Amino acid sequence: MSRGLRAPTASVASCHGDQWQPVPTGGRVIALVGSPNVGKSTLFNALTGARRSVGNWPGTTVEVGRGPWAVPGAGTVALVDLPGAYSLDPISPDEALTRALLVEVPPEERPDLVVVVVSAADLGRSLYLVSQVREYGLPFVVALTMIDVARRRGLVLDVDTLSRRLGAPVAELAPRRRGGADALAGAVSQALDADRARAVTAVLGEVPPTDPEDDLVAAERRFAWVSAVVSASVRRDPGGRAAISDRIDRVVTSPVIGPLLFLGVMWLVFQLTTTVAAPVQQGLGDLVSGPVTDAVTTLLRWCGAGSGWLRGLLVDGLVNGVGMVLTFVPLMAIMFALLALLEDSGYLARAAVVTDRLMRTVGLPGRAFLPLIVGFGCNVPAISATRVLPDARHRLMTALLVPFTSCSARLTVYVLVASTFFGSSAGDVVFLMYVVSVLLVVLGGLLLRSTLLRAFGDEPLVLDLPRYQAPVPRLLLVATWTRLAAFLRTAGGVIVLTVTAVWLLSAVPVSSVSGSFAHVPVRDSAFGAAASLAAPVFDPAGFGDWHAAGALLVGGVAKEAVVSSWAQTYAAQEPGDLHDPGALGTALRSDFARSSGGHSGPAALAFLVFLLAYTPCLATITAQLREIGLRWTLVGMAGQLGVAWVLAVLVFQVGRWLA
Amino acid sequence: MTLESAPCGDPVVIETSDLASIWVRRLAELGLRIGTVVVPLHRTAGGGRVVGVGDARVAVAGAALRRISVRPDAA
Repeated sequence: MSRGLRAPTASVASCHGDQWQPVPTGGRVIALVGSPNVGKSTLFNALTGARRSVGNWPGTTVEVGRGPWAVPGAGTVALVDLPGAYSLDPISPDEALTRALLVEVPPEERPDLVVVVVSAADLGRSLYLVSQVREYGLPFVVALTMIDVARRRGLVLDVDTLSRRLGAPVAELAPRRRGGADALAGAVSQALDADRARAVTAVLGEVPPTDPEDDLVAAERRFAWVSAVVSASVRRDPGGRAAISDRIDRVVTSPVIGPLLFLGVMWLVFQLTTTVAAPVQQGLGDLVSGPVTDAVTTLLRWCGAGSGWLRGLLVDGLVNGVGMVLTFVPLMAIMFALLALLEDSGYLARAAVVTDRLMRTVGLPGRAFLPLIVGFGCNVPAISATRVLPDARHRLMTALLVPFTSCSARLTVYVLVASTFFGSSAGDVVFLMYVVSVLLVVLGGLLLRSTLLRAFGDEPLVLDLPRYQAPVPRLLLVATWTRLAAFLRTAGGVIVLTVTAVWLLSAVPVSSVSGSFAHVPVRDSAFGAAASLAAPVFDPAGFGDWHAAGALLVGGVAKEAVVSSWAQTYAAQEPGDLHDPGALGTALRSDFARSSGGHSGPAALAFLVFLLAYTPCLATITAQLREIGLRWTLVGMAGQLGVAWVLAVLVFQVGRWLA
Repeated sequence: MTLESAPCGDPVVIETSDLASIWVRRLAELGLRIGTVVVPLHRTAGGGRVVGVGDARVAVAGAALRRISVRPDAA
């Protein structure tokens, strides 16, 4: 990592998600650093008014947030929220990025000032990072949070003494209640005015060591300094940690009740992101396909374009695409709100403890359970939910595994195909798909752990348990909106464009005798030609037919559209009850029998396995692009397609041999 | 004895640790340093323990607990 926070060219400073704009020449940059659970991100939102642009740092999957902060007397500065770090001795890519941007970049690219967020309730733990910031000679100001918690624990802080011992201004804050921001702004303004040459210099007076043994000796010296500062500035009144917190922990993390409680919470998350979101999604979908479509059509009719290609492009392309984006809004909003609630309350850390051992068998920490469970409802919020994982490598691995979790959209196809081909055993076949899904996640994790992403999961669980706290609705709303807006900004455009492109393909005739633009049978369109071209690839799996290939192409955009695609290409009524496929079922049986040489059952099973394992949908891909970048998204897609094809061929060939 | 076998609720002093140096440092950053008094609290799902370090609580896996030697706190 050699580029700093004020990288001069936009080409190296783009994020996977929002565009990371470099700070203009002369613009001031303030870095916000601190260990996890000290309220750093809450403070960042309070200072910037949640005008946060979030994106992965160029060349990494590590998230860095930035926003403007109006500092009276100093103008508007760029506040950068660096990944949480206990020290400048990194053990994860996130911590490594924080170190790199503070001390490994050229001096001219370092931040003008570092605001170190320190918890008054755990002063000794927070000051280690301060000792290293001092050691490297970085100008800094301390933002003291959680003073109320410290008071409740009987800790009395002498802030003046603390400031004197640290050699830097200390501002008392209450970011959860929006208090103390002015004091911090004042301290920052004064610090920025000061000559940088007069910045705090190293108290240890030595170059930070590079040898591991020297490193441990230096660490002991820092701890001794931290102890001296704490002794001088903190007094303990009688009292102590509220015993109720330990009593809650004893239940929430216990070997028996802990996992049961966790499963209950996961069940609730799953229900809220599927059952509760579904009617709202349906309502928004109906709104777009009904009144909005009618209004656009009427408007076009007034303009004399009520039935031409322009109507198709706008209604079937653009409006349809916007409708698809809108249907994700309630789902994502619920998911992001739940994530914020679980994180803010302190429960997520306990859930990580409970599931850690199980998840480590596939090379992931316990927290990865949450996105994987959510994936069974919808892969899109599940990919976003990987943000609960503090380590970028774990986020990457989980984001690659989520597509193998069988989302609810796939269920409609399972039911239709299973009912068509397996009669009374349809339920068993659907259940089998979920078993295969779980196996794919487990085996995929083991494979990734031993190939692309080696050495995962070897580190022991060492996890700080934050205090429990009552979530603040305002903070939950801010966190939800920030994440939702970022999702819509990045994913929305891609989805609309792709849906429009699919419509265009199905509107373009491949020859002049097939029809005219937007008035062509599907088979004679560019889309139909592409499906016919792809069909032979599936011959070894028993479903090498253009209808099936076309349905899979459409399924790559949205699994919800697979059944309607079949209905359209077979010119059959879309079944109201998927358990009774009617004419569509008859057509499917006929084509699968033909393409499989009379082995319809194994071919149908192979089709379902392929449908389960290949690219989930366009929205998932865009979510992956945002979270893990283009290269890993392409690696994931190639892996899913490869696994899907191999498994489908295996299922068909073995099934045919057994039959 | 180790932090894994120490009785629940009794304060102990950390004597040695044969974890990799990177984890020794991370534990130290979280307050579990040689010579520090800690309190092994309840056991967790997965075979670990919650350890009290002053007012803070740290969850540590069983594999790591077994590699941290402790003695009873005389005080």
